[in-house]
Amino acid sequence: MKRMLAVAVAALMMGGIAHAETVKVGVIGPFSGPFALQGKNFKAGIDAYMALNGNKVGDNTVEVIYRDVPQADPAQSKSLAQELVVKEGVQYLAGFYFTPDAMAVTPLLKQANVPMVVMNAATSAIVTKSPYVVRTSFTTAQNSAPIAEVAVARGAKKVITVVSDYGPGVDSETAFQKAFKAAGGEIVDSIRMPLATNDFSPIMQRIKDSGAEGLFAFLPSGPPTLGFVKAYNENGLKAAGIQFFGTGDLAQESDLPALGDAALGILTTFHYAVSHDSPENKAFVAAAEKSLGDPKEMTFPAVGAYDGMHVIYKMIEATGGKKDAQKAVDAVKGMSWMSPRGPVTIDPETRHVIENIYLREIAKAADGTYYNKEIQTFEKQGDPGLEK
Amino acid sequence: MALTLPPEDAIASSRRHRSVLRDFAGVAAILVAAAIGYALFPDNLALLTRVLAIALLVLSLDLVTGYCGVATLGHAALFGAGAYAAGIAAVHDNVTDPIAMIGCGIVGGALAGLVCGAVILRAHGLPQLVLSIALIYLFHEFANKASDWTGGSDGLSGMTVDPLFGLFEFDLYGHTAYFLGVALVLIVFVLLRLLVRSPFGMLCRGIKEDPLRIRAMGASPKAALMKMYVVSGAVAGIGGALNALSTQVVGLDSLSFTQSAEALVMLVLGGTGSLFGALTGTVIFMLFEDYVSAANPFHWLTILGLLLLAVVLFAPKGIYGTAAAYIVRRREARP
Amino acid sequence: MQTILSIAVDALAYGMVLFVISIGLSVTMGLMRVINLAHGAFAMIGGYIASYAARDLGFGYAAAVLLAVVGTVVIAIPLERLLYRRIYGAPELTQVLMTIGITFCIIGIANYVFGPTLKTIPLPQALQGSVDLGFRTIATHRAFAILCGLVVALGLWFVIERTAFGVKLRASVDNSAMAAALGVRTEIVYAVSFAVAVGLAAFGGVVGAELLPVEPYYALRYMVTFLVVVSVGGAGSIPGALIACLTLGGIDTAGRYLMPEYGEFFFYLAVIAIICVFPRGLAARAK
Repeated sequence: MKRMLAVAVAALMMGGIAHAETVKVGVIGPFSGPFALQGKNFKAGIDAYMALNGNKVGDNTVEVIYRDVPQADPAQSKSLAQELVVKEGVQYLAGFYFTPDAMAVTPLLKQANVPMVVMNAATSAIVTKSPYVVRTSFTTAQNSAPIAEVAVARGAKKVITVVSDYGPGVDSETAFQKAFKAAGGEIVDSIRMPLATNDFSPIMQRIKDSGAEGLFAFLPSGPPTLGFVKAYNENGLKAAGIQFFGTGDLAQESDLPALGDAALGILTTFHYAVSHDSPENKAFVAAAEKSLGDPKEMTFPAVGAYDGMHVIYKMIEATGGKKDAQKAVDAVKGMSWMSPRGPVTIDPETRHVIENIYLREIAKAADGTYYNKEIQTFEKQGDPGLEK
Repeated sequence: MALTLPPEDAIASSRRHRSVLRDFAGVAAILVAAAIGYALFPDNLALLTRVLAIALLVLSLDLVTGYCGVATLGHAALFGAGAYAAGIAAVHDNVTDPIAMIGCGIVGGALAGLVCGAVILRAHGLPQLVLSIALIYLFHEFANKASDWTGGSDGLSGMTVDPLFGLFEFDLYGHTAYFLGVALVLIVFVLLRLLVRSPFGMLCRGIKEDPLRIRAMGASPKAALMKMYVVSGAVAGIGGALNALSTQVVGLDSLSFTQSAEALVMLVLGGTGSLFGALTGTVIFMLFEDYVSAANPFHWLTILGLLLLAVVLFAPKGIYGTAAAYIVRRREARP
Repeated sequence: MQTILSIAVDALAYGMVLFVISIGLSVTMGLMRVINLAHGAFAMIGGYIASYAARDLGFGYAAAVLLAVVGTVVIAIPLERLLYRRIYGAPELTQVLMTIGITFCIIGIANYVFGPTLKTIPLPQALQGSVDLGFRTIATHRAFAILCGLVVALGLWFVIERTAFGVKLRASVDNSAMAAALGVRTEIVYAVSFAVAVGLAAFGGVVGAELLPVEPYYALRYMVTFLVVVSVGGAGSIPGALIACLTLGGIDTAGRYLMPEYGEFFFYLAVIAIICVFPRGLAARAK
């Protein structure tokens, strides 16, 4: 009898203690393999946010679980997402560097009752696949359109587009060409190069032969960019006055030291530069560099992850730590805040981020390091890829 | 007392008897492993289903590499062809019944096997390896370019799959896909064991040992190897279709050189030429990969490299192969 | 006409860079019959050592190259004794597996020690800028690569065909048991050949660093290209490797100029065509 009373009292007491739950967030990204640096930047952005804002939202402690998908592998991504939802019980799925990885997970969201915060994957269509997807990064179309105006303004009325032959490259080419023609320019030729191209000299030769006054390029970040920029210089295109326009993927800060002087003067448009001058960015960069170890490894996925965590924290606040995907997503629709990159808003209809796109020039600082210098701002840019 | 040898057919039938026993043991082992998997990882069935799909690919690779001696680093072409065949049928032609999709996978894989076999079997050794590499890159690039059909580098998504037999849905928890996968692997395994013990299987093994002699005997190595390639394609196609069914997305990675190389590594890890080795190698490699990349993704590649070196130095017949050889030695050593 | 010449010059430069890196692999595979998939890894090590020496230690270009070659050979010697020696004569699959394992380990270590970012090797003043050929300019370092390729080709030919060591090497390859019986120290011949092959790989990695940038996944990224080139040329044959590099370089470059969207198709269809017509490569050594 006494025993039963004691147990009953204990049970009542347990019921009375406030529920301090752990809310788990599953982050899927490339943490090994050729793109490990991007995954490391995801982690740096997340660590930075949690360092600056604590790891609690109300009574709930946020726990982040990382899973590795080294390359674009939709089957592995989906299976890891399933593991995170069923086995680990995550309330939020986040990360996703590659488009196919994000696309593969969207059918799960409804049954799992879990929202997805895309911290990088840049194809416009991802947000249309499920009403529970929110993106805090950018799309290729969003970054490629503004530079078309810049090209026309700088006197390059005839431009040749040179892109890598894969999804993002084709998206970029389409967006640029549409915006360029709308601004009154003429596309003289479009080249799509195989992803595995090492030797760009024949491409440069073709650019010279086309009579273009400028070239628009899109390549994935990493070794191909180096070869392309070097070939641009060595084959005399720079000397011949053919202007180089690109998206910021070509000029990511972690590649700039290797590009060196060859890249000076290249104009790119992008949503974020590490050198952005604002108090939010300074705090963010300091915290992220602490997580990375080497400041030279900092690059754009970090800010996508940082803002992604901000969105997740707001979602947790809105749902009180409970699992409710619709409530969570509804809470952040239309939300605006000052991100390290500048002012951002989540578009209530598309759930994609509306942000400033900056025109930057690769420049050398007084201490010899290379950085992207912001010289023009295009405000409140949405995603042209989602406009029908 | 004269020393007499047991009659010929007694030896042959006892060997066949032992082989059949081994088949039963194999089926039992697979069922036990599947049950253990279900019990130990009830929340991770998606991973186990992937293991099953890849196991079918590695089985198909064992057919051509272990039993026919063809060196290939491009076998994922057959797997990917099956996956895309099933996926395209589901998305573009509204074929959403799972069994029909597997059928499409078989046809796709077999056709790819025909094409690849026709090219690869024209050379031997290193040039053969390079032909296989060239083929997988061609398949990959073709799938990348034909993006209207295949979704290109973004992958083929938007597949809906009907419930299996109208009853069992393919859901988030993955039960249906897992049991379907186990059933497929069992059926394929039994059929393949029968195949490699048949006269056709013996012929292929003979071709691997000494092609000149086989030709002198009057058989055609080329024709036999082509048939085996088509069969291998069908098996790989089933694996690809299973992958497409369970994940409902098909990516370019299923047609990649990396996938082919990993399949070869898994095969050699387990041991070639016995089908059991293929299964063992796949399970060990993929579970190892899952565990290590969750624990320490940064050093995954180095650890994998060390594992390969260890296997080559200490267990050159593969993990299953070395274990099997050890058991045989123990049996023969017994008086 | 000018376009054709221009493409030819680009093809020559690209082909020569491939040649310098791949010739070592041709030697290993043809003469020593080891499928060494870790060859790209040795080229990468050479590139890393040169980059470190030139950027962080402040050495000049020539010194960095020398250090790279010597350093890579020093690293390769214990690998040869402990690992490669066990797979001479082993079945192909075993060699493939072992060398892939070595490659993975080297990539992991490089990633850990040097980090994941690209590394460049600063060119000396003499190699920067461009050379004017009249109808077009070509980067000086490419002209240098062409020169290096020719020197390497001539040097190897001379050593193999005209020196005593070359005789012993050819004897050991044709029939090592007989050569050993006749007093040739085959282990030394093999060890020296391996060292030369690895040294050439390192040299190629440094010379080609402008074209193939040095980063941890270099070894895997270009492994297929080297393998294809050696196979098409016929392992063990220097003229074969040269012709293969120039031919494949030419097809690749021309394809990329004329129809870049189908660049990959051209290249691999050409490889398949050549191997189907010459199953043992363009100039394979008769067995």
